[in-house]
Amino acid sequence: MASLGTFLLLAAFVTCSYSAVISVAGARRRSRRLIESGIGAFYLICAIMTAATAVLINAFLTGDFSIKYVAHNSDSVQPLFYKLTSYWGGLDGSIMFWVFLLSIFGSLAVYVNRERHRELIPYVVATISVVNMFFLFLMVIHKNPFTTYLTQVPADGEGLNPLLQNAYMAIHPPSLYTGFVGMTIPFAFGIAALITGHLDDSWLRAVRRWTMFSWLFLSFGLILGMIWAYEELGWGGYWAWDPVENAALLPWFTATAFLHSVMVQERRSMLRVWNVTLVIVTYFLTIFGTFMTRSGVVQSVHAFGDDPILARLFIGFMVIILTFSFGLVIWRLPLLKARNELDSWLSREAAFLVNNWVMLFAALFVLFGTMFPTLSEAVTGTRLTVAGAFFNKWMTPVGLVLLMLTGVGPLLAWRRSSFDKIAPQFLWPGLSGLVALAIAALYFKIPVWPSGLCFGLCGFVAGTIVQEFWKGAAIRSRNSGTDLLTALVGLVGKNKRRYGGYIVHVGITLICFGFAGNARKLDEQVLLKPGQETKIGKYTIKSNGVKVADDGQKQMTTAYLTVFVDGKEIDGLYPAKWAYRRHEQEPTTEVAIRRTPVEDLYAVLGGFDLADQSVTLQLVVNPLVNWVWFGFGIMALGTGIALLPERSFAFALAKMPAEAAATTVALLCVLLLSGTSLSAQSNMGGDMNTRTSFYARTPFEKEMQHEIVCTCGACGHQTIAECRKDPCATSHEMRGQLAAMIDSGVHDKDQIIQAFIAKYGTEEMLGAPVDRGFSRLAWLLPYVVGASSAVAIGFAAVKWSRKPDEAAVTAPAAIDSALEERIDDELRDLD
Amino acid sequence: MTHRYIKLGLTAGVLVLAFAGLLWSTLQDGTEYFKHVDEVMVNPQAWEGKPLQLHGYVIPGSILKRQDTLEYKFKVQNNPIRDVNQGHVVEVSYTGIVPDTFKGEAEVVLRGKLTTNGFHTDPGGVTAKCPSKYEAQARASAPGT
Repeated sequence: MASLGTFLLLAAFVTCSYSAVISVAGARRRSRRLIESGIGAFYLICAIMTAATAVLINAFLTGDFSIKYVAHNSDSVQPLFYKLTSYWGGLDGSIMFWVFLLSIFGSLAVYVNRERHRELIPYVVATISVVNMFFLFLMVIHKNPFTTYLTQVPADGEGLNPLLQNAYMAIHPPSLYTGFVGMTIPFAFGIAALITGHLDDSWLRAVRRWTMFSWLFLSFGLILGMIWAYEELGWGGYWAWDPVENAALLPWFTATAFLHSVMVQERRSMLRVWNVTLVIVTYFLTIFGTFMTRSGVVQSVHAFGDDPILARLFIGFMVIILTFSFGLVIWRLPLLKARNELDSWLSREAAFLVNNWVMLFAALFVLFGTMFPTLSEAVTGTRLTVAGAFFNKWMTPVGLVLLMLTGVGPLLAWRRSSFDKIAPQFLWPGLSGLVALAIAALYFKIPVWPSGLCFGLCGFVAGTIVQEFWKGAAIRSRNSGTDLLTALVGLVGKNKRRYGGYIVHVGITLICFGFAGNARKLDEQVLLKPGQETKIGKYTIKSNGVKVADDGQKQMTTAYLTVFVDGKEIDGLYPAKWAYRRHEQEPTTEVAIRRTPVEDLYAVLGGFDLADQSVTLQLVVNPLVNWVWFGFGIMALGTGIALLPERSFAFALAKMPAEAAATTVALLCVLLLSGTSLSAQSNMGGDMNTRTSFYARTPFEKEMQHEIVCTCGACGHQTIAECRKDPCATSHEMRGQLAAMIDSGVHDKDQIIQAFIAKYGTEEMLGAPVDRGFSRLAWLLPYVVGASSAVAIGFAAVKWSRKPDEAAVTAPAAIDSALEERIDDELRDLD
Repeated sequence: MTHRYIKLGLTAGVLVLAFAGLLWSTLQDGTEYFKHVDEVMVNPQAWEGKPLQLHGYVIPGSILKRQDTLEYKFKVQNNPIRDVNQGHVVEVSYTGIVPDTFKGEAEVVLRGKLTTNGFHTDPGGVTAKCPSKYEAQARASAPGT
């Protein structure tokens, strides 16, 4: 099965190259048949990737542990659901999932737009195919999920990381990926528009929905990650400015900016360069985010390993994206001239412009902060890290400015306003803002900066939105003679994008409302003996000791706490620690949360002593936190309304996101109402008999252990770092020799390798061919083949797309021979 | 036309300077030095009082906890415990809940300040890396991360 999978990946790669070449050729020769052929091949990629996905999922379901990826990310006792989600549990599979999604989205986008944007389609197909080629190349040469153990197949897998066995974690990555991958579609259309020079607003119309759809899933992914951090990691918060979180936030900023500035181009034909740039930057940031978290460039508590090869490949790809896209933009600058200038700074387009600058600044700042440790080490040699406080200090004002613009923008007219005209517009929103600020500051005694101000601005934005709905509905009700409610529904139905957008703003306001609650956050750590009490906020918490239970899967140590308010018992809290069999070193924290709309009472069992029944607790009161999750539900609803097709069933496919949004809301409501933390761990296998001696003590020793292969003959050429089964005497001995050599002061890689070659007489025990002399060819070959096929494809595309009479034959065989010749030449040169 | 460019240039200049100034001032108190025990303990006086993220390994058996409190004292050395020479050692004090993965031999990063009588860790400043075999997503659990 594994070889079938690898074959399918290779087939997908070949099909991608064919579809890229033939589409470009078809577009340049204006040959309908070639273009159709390219599109056909493009759909075929989708089919091939579906088949490859089926093969991998089948391997997970049947427990085919001969495939390394399956062995590393699942085991036989894992529940069915997590066997499926293990598909994207590791890097190799997630790259494949990326290609799978991109092939589906690409096909959908091409299918929907094939008639309407006929001139763009071939280049869209070519762009997406080339992107797919990069990821397929990455998989085939470096991260193939179908790599197998050659001889000794492990009897059982290692199991998915317990922290990832959680319902949120199962849907969080696909949601983020949907967002990330979806951003490729606008990028492909942008590139197609630049190449063809069809830079009117039609390409924007084609991508608007896609961007909205991807943006929704990106937001959903971010929120799910927050919920997961809040409920599963147990430190009382949901956002820590960790590099991995930031990586997902970066494209979110630029995509949000694009969704706003696109309206300026539609209305006023301004900001054309800017919009193309935002699309490119957003796409670039999705790739950069992946690079940042997966290459080991940035240190993170997420601790994704170092991977220099992956880093180099990604850097190469990013350089190509940037030079190619911005090269095109510069080439097309004359066509991208704005048709209008900004008339006044007191206009809606000016507000959008400011919003865009702030969004872009936010993205750049987060990028800077995330890369700061790496940058400081490169520049000064000392690694300086920035804490979350640094981000908060800067992003709080940025967030407040954005929140203010949310309220100001809709009140300004397009082109120009005057102070006389807008003063009455600002009356009610301004008043509601002031009232909110006053209530927060005077009644609740919340400091004005920043939380009080945030409450005030929430009031202001809410005022603006209510006023907009009220005015629109009143006018409509007068004109149509219906009641206000019907008029309101009709209003939203008539201007789905505008009012859907306002509903999204309501969601954002609620999320900010939730953030502002942090001002009153309480966080305490206490040690309680049975019968002892502690107070936090209005709550009194009494410990009744700990109980240990065992359900055969895991040992559960639960603290029994009673919660009192004003001397009345209101609830019980049962935070726990679960130690799974064979995972006792990594107990999971089961947080107990008492949710109310006003505040969450959050308890973590930090430690316990069975002898005297004392418990160490972290108690947190998180005011308004549920409004963040609820706000997202509203946001999804608004996006769903904005995504509804203008004419129902004009194209049924575009309707899907709306239903998805409704499902999302329903899902969120269920999650919120249930009030229970979804903890879906299960017993996982995984063997602990990896405890033989000679663990690597230094990075160098670790590197060397991964270079040298065990010669025991039973492990199927595992490296001596890996071969620790049963325990293996040979690898034990080899590790010992390596350790002895390093201890004796040999720190030269070559010297050690030579010593091992001398001792064992062959190069057999080298994990990889030596990067020298003839053996270097083995290293270079895949890169050479990859690079030369890319060159050959470009060459073929240009050559074949000359006018029909100039061009030679069009039989596909000729492409193969041209390609082969080229590869042959390149390889001969190398020798 | 040139007049307009001068105005634009000046505005941009002022904005950039203001931004750089703000960034500089916030970076002053927003950053922490990421150091290994050896780097700091070679010349401890130079590092006293500076915000640090100290990387090291907990010496097994050195963890002391005062009865019925959350006060911890332990020792951290520069090199992994299995290493032949241990490198410099620093005494650490901490009050609060420690992560599950915090134990002897654990690789830790401590946020806090160096004083004359040892390293004083901020609340929630103990991050312990999982001794995990999972290549990816092995998130260290720590209060405050």
